[in-house]
Amino acid sequence: MIGMKCFRYIGYVFMLLVLPAITVVGQINPKDACRIEDGRLVFRLDLLWSSSQKREFVQLFDLDSTVMAGVYAGKTEIVSKGIVWKTKKLTIRIVELSKSLSSTPENSPLPGDVVMVDDEQAGYMIEAQRESSPYGVNKFTRYSVFQYIDGCARFYLPGHTDVNQVYISGTFNRWSTIQMPMQRSDSGWTIRLKLKPGKYLYKYILDGNWTSDPFNRLWGRDGYIEDNSVVYCYNYFFTLKGKTDAKAVYVTGSFNQWNRKELKMFKTRYGWALPLYLREGTHAYKFIVDGEYIPDPGNKVVRQDGSGNYNSIIGIGEPIFFTLKGYKNASKVIVSGNFNAWNQLELSMNRTPEGWRLPYVLAPGNYEYKFIVDGKWMTDPGNPFKTGHGEIENSILVVQPNYTFKLDQSTDAKSVIVSGSFNGWNKSGYKMAIVNHQWTFPVRLKPGKYTYKFVVDNKWILDPGNDLWEENEYGTGNSVLWIEP
Amino acid sequence: MLPGAKSAITLPLLFLIALLYLPTDLFAGKLHAADKFILVKPIVITAYYHPASSSPDGIESITIPLKRVGHLFLIEARIDDVVGNFVFDTGSSKLVLNKTYFRKYIAVDEENGGGMTGATDGVGRTSVRSLEVSGMKFSNLSADVTSLGHIENRRGVKILGLMGLSLLKQMEIVIDLNHNEIHLFRLDKKGNRMGAKGNRHFDLVQEVEEFQNILLVKAVIGGKSLDFCLDSGAESNVLSSYSSKSVMRTVTIIKRSDLVGVASGQADVLYGMMNDFSLGGRRFPTMKTIITSMDRMSKSYGRVIDGMLGYDFFCQGEICINLVRNEMGITFSKSTDK
Repeated sequence: MIGMKCFRYIGYVFMLLVLPAITVVGQINPKDACRIEDGRLVFRLDLLWSSSQKREFVQLFDLDSTVMAGVYAGKTEIVSKGIVWKTKKLTIRIVELSKSLSSTPENSPLPGDVVMVDDEQAGYMIEAQRESSPYGVNKFTRYSVFQYIDGCARFYLPGHTDVNQVYISGTFNRWSTIQMPMQRSDSGWTIRLKLKPGKYLYKYILDGNWTSDPFNRLWGRDGYIEDNSVVYCYNYFFTLKGKTDAKAVYVTGSFNQWNRKELKMFKTRYGWALPLYLREGTHAYKFIVDGEYIPDPGNKVVRQDGSGNYNSIIGIGEPIFFTLKGYKNASKVIVSGNFNAWNQLELSMNRTPEGWRLPYVLAPGNYEYKFIVDGKWMTDPGNPFKTGHGEIENSILVVQPNYTFKLDQSTDAKSVIVSGSFNGWNKSGYKMAIVNHQWTFPVRLKPGKYTYKFVVDNKWILDPGNDLWEENEYGTGNSVLWIEP
Repeated sequence: MLPGAKSAITLPLLFLIALLYLPTDLFAGKLHAADKFILVKPIVITAYYHPASSSPDGIESITIPLKRVGHLFLIEARIDDVVGNFVFDTGSSKLVLNKTYFRKYIAVDEENGGGMTGATDGVGRTSVRSLEVSGMKFSNLSADVTSLGHIENRRGVKILGLMGLSLLKQMEIVIDLNHNEIHLFRLDKKGNRMGAKGNRHFDLVQEVEEFQNILLVKAVIGGKSLDFCLDSGAESNVLSSYSSKSVMRTVTIIKRSDLVGVASGQADVLYGMMNDFSLGGRRFPTMKTIITSMDRMSKSYGRVIDGMLGYDFFCQGEICINLVRNEMGITFSKSTDK
């Protein structure tokens, strides 16, 4: 019996020693599975990984399904995409997968090279991807530090009169650190800038030192910098007459996803008001007076939202006019485009003596549209600018263009297309039209860099009117265009 | 060649002739292979051996507001009449201009070609009359002209060029990412800041070797001493994928991309963490790095270069590089000062 007991104890001790070792070997985290050893890239896989662990492993180390299938099938050598992988089984559940390191000369840095990381590692977001704010209200703690009247913004930084030079730098000048010096006064520094309504990020630079606006409680992130001051240049004033005995009035609308408690109006002598910035375009809204939703009694434009509610409607910006000459015998003409998700009922045009017309407010941009005349789709015969071909050809509407591509030569060509980074280098992209004896195409582009070429009767050419071009992978060059803010 | 450049050559040439009669050990540690290469280019001489023409008058220090785009450090400068962004790049030996905007600047002697690296693909040479950074003026500088479009396209920002090390001779460079500022101080012959009194205190001081117009520092990983190039233009640290076993044992690989489609088929792009990086006897917190071959770099310089210290390194604190004393002082950020 004593012998049996001894045996049992030895067994327990053995298990106590071995079990943790097995557990440790079994607990490979996919994150720690890769190493480099003797010029080889080595992975240690756990065959009992859950499917989410497996997915994590494959994503982290960019392994393809052939390799993974080979590992689970117990193969000792796997060939995939011309790469030879070796496997070695270490325990029942642990497999080592390896390949020789391949670093091509093209991929290794040369002296003077600027080593760059991928966008994910750099936490980088290009300007075009930034969401432009649909609305905004300022939060200054001292009202004299910012004024915006008739398109002119006045920034005032009190104090700091011992500093030699102060600059303002922001999204309005591409964060230039030397282009906008402020003027010194007895009490501080000021600058007046012509700015369009919108959202801007900015900072002051005091003798080279970046400083947020000390009297602004609104901050925004741009790249790595989180403490940029944010200012909105206003373009709209919500007002509600009367209701002066109400405790609280809010404005809510499509621009703020109908948030109920965000935009509180302030009481005036005659009622309630709220100045703010609203992005150009058409917006639906209502007031909430002590919890009760009401349409704006001062605004006659009201539209049904499709679920039986009536909302007040405002258009910010200049209206554009869709017009169609003729078709006087038609009974109904609709305009439909990507601005209203190609809705075939919403925007019915009005009959005029010459044909059909509809005023509509759209934010600056490039839009595609068509007319539906008694159920039949057609491009706008009065608009020479088109994209696509055949049945998927649409008219292009450019609201507030900020650049026009022009080509003086090849006016006898059959077709000229402008294709570039702004339309994904689409070869059936923007079809240019002859206006005033030259090929033209107006566009609205966000600030930033664009590369492009013209396609003249299927032949790609650089823009002969643009001195700026850069090398491309085909050795033929691309024209370069910068759109400033 | 721009007006004024010709007359500026005469004096330096006389100076050079005089130098031939001086004992050569006067240049020990100063004249390198790359300098010899530069010496055959007369325009360069004015910038390199004529401090009066490349230094600001009366300005002893400047603070340059730094902009960060991705992991690039950008500063704004005026070059002749053009204003724009330059990458502050201690890994570049000289001023480099973007061909897109300076194509017309390329001098006619392009056929002599070849950059510092011996690469002949599309590198032109030119000179610029003036470069001004935060009030500090440099004049008659030589520059390479090459395409930097790929940097612009990846980061969506206009880049006029790279501001390299040749502009920063006789200076102390302070890179302060906490405040997004770069300070430049002119130094006297002993390496003291002009007009400044007292010594600065650093958490760490490390010798810097100036080699062929790049800066090298010795760091220790896994008990091995390695040579790293100090490169503020690198968006990441870089560690040679062929480092020894004891080095690699301390590195964790956190991500791999299988870059298919490069000319020779396939390449591994590896991101890792350096868990045991020490400099000047002090262990650093874990730093990110790219792991790739350093072969081409090492071959170009004729010596082994084990890696590059880039963005992740400069994030550790205030990095102060004295180019007269050839030393680097680091004041760690509070968050990294462990």
